[in-house]
Amino acid sequence: MTNSIPDTSRRRLLFGGTAIAAGALLTACTSNEQTPTPAQTKGEDTSNPNAAAGKAVTIGFSAPAADHGWIAAITNNAKAQAGAYKDVTFKQVEAGKDAAAQRAALDTLIAEKPDVIVLLPHDGKELNAFGLKAMEAGIPVVNLDRAFPDALAYRLQIKGDNYGMGVAAGHYIGKALKAKNVASPVIGEIAGMDELELTQERSAGFKAALATYGFTVANRRAARFTADSGQKEAQNLLQALPKIDAIWNHDDDQGIGVLAAITAANRSEFFMVGGAGSKKAIEDIAADKTVLKATVTYSPSMASSAISLARLIAQGRGMSDLVELQVPKEVILASETITKENASTYLKLGF
Amino acid sequence: MSEQAADTGEVVLRLSGVVKTFPGVRALDGVELEVRAGEVHCLLGQNGAGKSTLIKVLAGVHRPDAGDVQWLGERVEFSGPQAAMKAGIATIYQELDLVDYLSVAENIYLGHEPRSLGFVHKGQAARQAGELLGRLGHGEIPAQRLVKSLPAAGKQIVSMARALSHSAKLIIMDEPSAVLAHDEVGNLFRIIRELTAQGIAVVYISHRLEEIREIGDRVTVLKDGRTSAVNLPARSTPTRDLVSRMTGRSIEYVFPPRPDTAPGETLLEVRGLGRSGEFTGVDVDVRAGEIVGIAGLVGSGRSELLETIFGARQAEAGTVVMNGKALPPGSVAAAVRAGIGMAPEERKSQALLLGQPIYRNMTLTNFSSYASAGFTNAGKEQAAAMRVADQLELRPRDVNRAVRTLSGGNQQKVVVGRWLLGDTRLLILDEPTRGVDVGARAELYQVIRDLAANGVGVLLVSSEVPEVLGLADRVLVMREGRVVREAPAAEINEEDVLDLVMAGSLTAATTEEVAA
Amino acid sequence: MSVSSEEKVEAPGGHPPHTAPAVAKTSWWKDEAQEPMRRNLGLVGVLLALFAIGAFIRPDLYSNPDWVINNIMVILTQAAAIGVVTVGMTFVIIGGGIDLSVGALIALSGVWATTLATQSFGPVGMIFTAVAVGVGAGLVNGVLIAYGKLVPFIATLAMLVAARGLAAQISGKQTQISADQFINSLATTRIVGIPLLVIILLAVAGLGWVLLNRTTFGRRTVAIGGNAEAARLAGINVRGHTMLLYALSGLCCGIAAIMLTSLATSSQAAAAELYELDAIAAAIIGGTLLSGGRGTIIGSLFGVIVFSAITNLFAIANLPTEVQNMVKGAIIVVAVLLQQVRFSSVTQFARRHGLTRAKPQT
Repeated sequence: MTNSIPDTSRRRLLFGGTAIAAGALLTACTSNEQTPTPAQTKGEDTSNPNAAAGKAVTIGFSAPAADHGWIAAITNNAKAQAGAYKDVTFKQVEAGKDAAAQRAALDTLIAEKPDVIVLLPHDGKELNAFGLKAMEAGIPVVNLDRAFPDALAYRLQIKGDNYGMGVAAGHYIGKALKAKNVASPVIGEIAGMDELELTQERSAGFKAALATYGFTVANRRAARFTADSGQKEAQNLLQALPKIDAIWNHDDDQGIGVLAAITAANRSEFFMVGGAGSKKAIEDIAADKTVLKATVTYSPSMASSAISLARLIAQGRGMSDLVELQVPKEVILASETITKENASTYLKLGF
Repeated sequence: MSEQAADTGEVVLRLSGVVKTFPGVRALDGVELEVRAGEVHCLLGQNGAGKSTLIKVLAGVHRPDAGDVQWLGERVEFSGPQAAMKAGIATIYQELDLVDYLSVAENIYLGHEPRSLGFVHKGQAARQAGELLGRLGHGEIPAQRLVKSLPAAGKQIVSMARALSHSAKLIIMDEPSAVLAHDEVGNLFRIIRELTAQGIAVVYISHRLEEIREIGDRVTVLKDGRTSAVNLPARSTPTRDLVSRMTGRSIEYVFPPRPDTAPGETLLEVRGLGRSGEFTGVDVDVRAGEIVGIAGLVGSGRSELLETIFGARQAEAGTVVMNGKALPPGSVAAAVRAGIGMAPEERKSQALLLGQPIYRNMTLTNFSSYASAGFTNAGKEQAAAMRVADQLELRPRDVNRAVRTLSGGNQQKVVVGRWLLGDTRLLILDEPTRGVDVGARAELYQVIRDLAANGVGVLLVSSEVPEVLGLADRVLVMREGRVVREAPAAEINEEDVLDLVMAGSLTAATTEEVAA
Repeated sequence: MSVSSEEKVEAPGGHPPHTAPAVAKTSWWKDEAQEPMRRNLGLVGVLLALFAIGAFIRPDLYSNPDWVINNIMVILTQAAAIGVVTVGMTFVIIGGGIDLSVGALIALSGVWATTLATQSFGPVGMIFTAVAVGVGAGLVNGVLIAYGKLVPFIATLAMLVAARGLAAQISGKQTQISADQFINSLATTRIVGIPLLVIILLAVAGLGWVLLNRTTFGRRTVAIGGNAEAARLAGINVRGHTMLLYALSGLCCGIAAIMLTSLATSSQAAAAELYELDAIAAAIIGGTLLSGGRGTIIGSLFGVIVFSAITNLFAIANLPTEVQNMVKGAIIVVAVLLQQVRFSSVTQFARRHGLTRAKPQT
């Protein structure tokens, strides 16, 4: 045991000073001053009779607290679109981390009596009862992307087409390989979170479309919609398949990692199709410097459209191009294929 | 109930020649006991006399190796605590075994809830629990209340209600007054009297003679696992008699002789040390080369005192001065730097890394001093540990062995040896020979005496009064958080100490007897 | 104090001096001190078995030595980030704690290091930020646990939730792309054929081994985890050290965040999902006792590599993820059972239940 007592006061001072300096530096580093993504909105186009101001309405909105770019874009788009209308008051409630939390938040929303509710549920089945309750209370519900099983639980259903996404990706790959005359191609698939129904639908569509060309998936890995998991699964996929003709990656966010793995492995003998349609992916396709040649959309722009339609529903108006005096009950967005040729027109819809 | 009535009640429990051995220890060595319905039968004995083991045999926790247990006239062997409970023997342990987060009623009927088809009748349980509490004169305790929120006395009553719920004919109470404040003891006695009036027998264990005099009918005394006296009248047996039956060892320990030389300069000066609820106003001096022993019952504040001097507990009042320098309260590191070492009471849970090698346990306090630039030096540590192992005659003398594989005595040597490696001037020993067999004890005594001969001051606590008297140069007797007597070891004997710790003033007890 | 060795303590009072019990030569299979070595050999056996299965399923790939070497590097690369975290986790668990926040701290460090503002400071700024954020958050864990007396499980669970939240807040829930070529090139750099990330892992593990086995820091860690009260009563600053352990774990998270950012050329709030469970599982199958006081860095490293090799093998065999997770779970259970059940107790069990008999009955 030493009897010398270290000069703690000076040490502490030094340590404290360093800690404060580091803290100050770090807090300065949290800013992300990037140019905000141009919102996917439709402005007050004077030629569009639907754009003309109507009765003032309040739109309630709820979407899960997202840790993923796509859902973040949903909320941003909804907000931006509502802001584009002078006659809309936008009331957002946090949906929390699970269906129960969202239900609780929505109950408070009902009490405030909005004219219409736009809702991206955590789980369509679990929030079906809420839909029924709101409709009974006379508040029309616009379901965004995750369907309620009960038709009485919503006024309008607007969603993307997961199966169609897989089909689009399958057709793109099938056509391209046929054009190249590849006899029995090696096709890889990197799916998203496997426990989600949407992933299963995408894969089913992909499989069905490839089957029409007589092709099958050689190896399928499921990542977690994150770049690091995409990197890991892609790295393993590349190991399993020393020669590949085409890959479909379900999600452009995880695609960042997938592309990193492909670059690191120096592989370029194949082409890749992405999914969802992120801004980065569309830029990459336009630049044409990576194996990413196309992406099939599942656009969060549906949130903007949902707000527009919700406004019309609340105001009792129909879509001006249609004959009907009311908004239709179901809108399913077609999955579009973005390639180098049309990338510039889609860039504003990238998220 | 009068002593005559106790003699006439029907015998419910009779033990004869009960033996229980554990590896290395003969805890019970032929115990006799006779308990009659409606009496309060007191069990008396020093620590280690076998009281706890006897209770556990009665409660069905231990099975005796030999001897006879007769319950209600029939020879029985309980397969477990449940069987004993079912037969009508309930035990109320000192650490009340209640479930804190269940209600009073749920605790009382735990394991035998009134139910049908697997559904518990909560209402019925609560009503019956209320009746039981009423029988104990405590109908005011709400049956729905969580047990956690009750004070110790309340929990004790719940334990008794639980015993009644099993329609117990014998209730064993292990030092029930130890958890109670002074004025609550009277209430306890009132309940005990009501129980005995209903024909229930009570086996009552306490260290406090005045309680035995007040509530007891007959006394059985245990010593070294044997009954040294049976069925003494609780009120009329003179204190001297009781004490002498408890003392006097059948196994005589050999203590090393005290040196003639006078102790050196004062190392430790403790003045007015106190912690609320534990001890107050304690003064202790320890000089170089001196062994100071503290005698006292569990709960007298002796272990707490040692830990506070060592800085393991924060002093609330008073000062600890070592080598003329005041120690900051609550800092073990400062105490160690000042040259104080401690071998705590619970060797395994407080002192040793059982899975680690001996040398690492020995160098636990000072491995840094063998290190250079933060890198440990196992070679130096092993060499140093080996020197101490030789000095203490550690067996086996293989410092790379895990401490777990050592006997209790050798484990204790490792703990003491730890402090021989550093600059320890004062060694605090809390129960140094607990769980140590007879041969190893003598060795430890010699080690302690040798340390003192080398100028180390020793402050020692032991539950075994002869050990304190035989080993120490000076003795402090503690009772209820205070030092009640301080004397050179040569000027005080075992009976005096026992009298002091059990009944308070020796003079008071003797004058009373003289008067009687 | 010293007692000279001439003054031998003698056993007085006629007690026969105890004879040292003969130190029975324990067989290698039963010697407790050899336990870590046995376990590591077992894990190497598992790795060899995985290799054999792979060779059986895909002889076309495994017959190509270049492919095999490359595949080993892939397995090690995928073990790199989680391996660094597991080294920190091993220290925390040996020290008697647990850190559930490692995945979240990687995400937070990674996101903080890849904001546009941080990226403007270049690679040094990014690395400094990741490490500082990791250590800072680790210190918060440590202070809450050591001085705030929170249970490690609760404190780090709270940090898990809070750090992911903060990461989402900073990133605006977007995937942040790293534009820094130096950071991105870390994942692709090889030195004498070995990926730089693998070298970093080996370096961290090597330093961790030295720290644990050869320094006073490591000794204190083992002592506190083995018996915190004994360590305290021996004068060891238990609280201060406990705090440092969580800071160390945070440091490892910061390093791992840079590695992961480099691999994925990006970072996001959802990154390093469930890394805490993978790290704990790897430490446990590597022989670290969850109650503290015992564990080895090498075992943990093998644990990580085994998991990484399983993921790789399942990809090569084109088996779905759910089967892979079931196998991982089974391996954890088997590893822990092996830790508890010794050979002798198995034979005892067999004897008690009449599974082995001296004489066959007919």
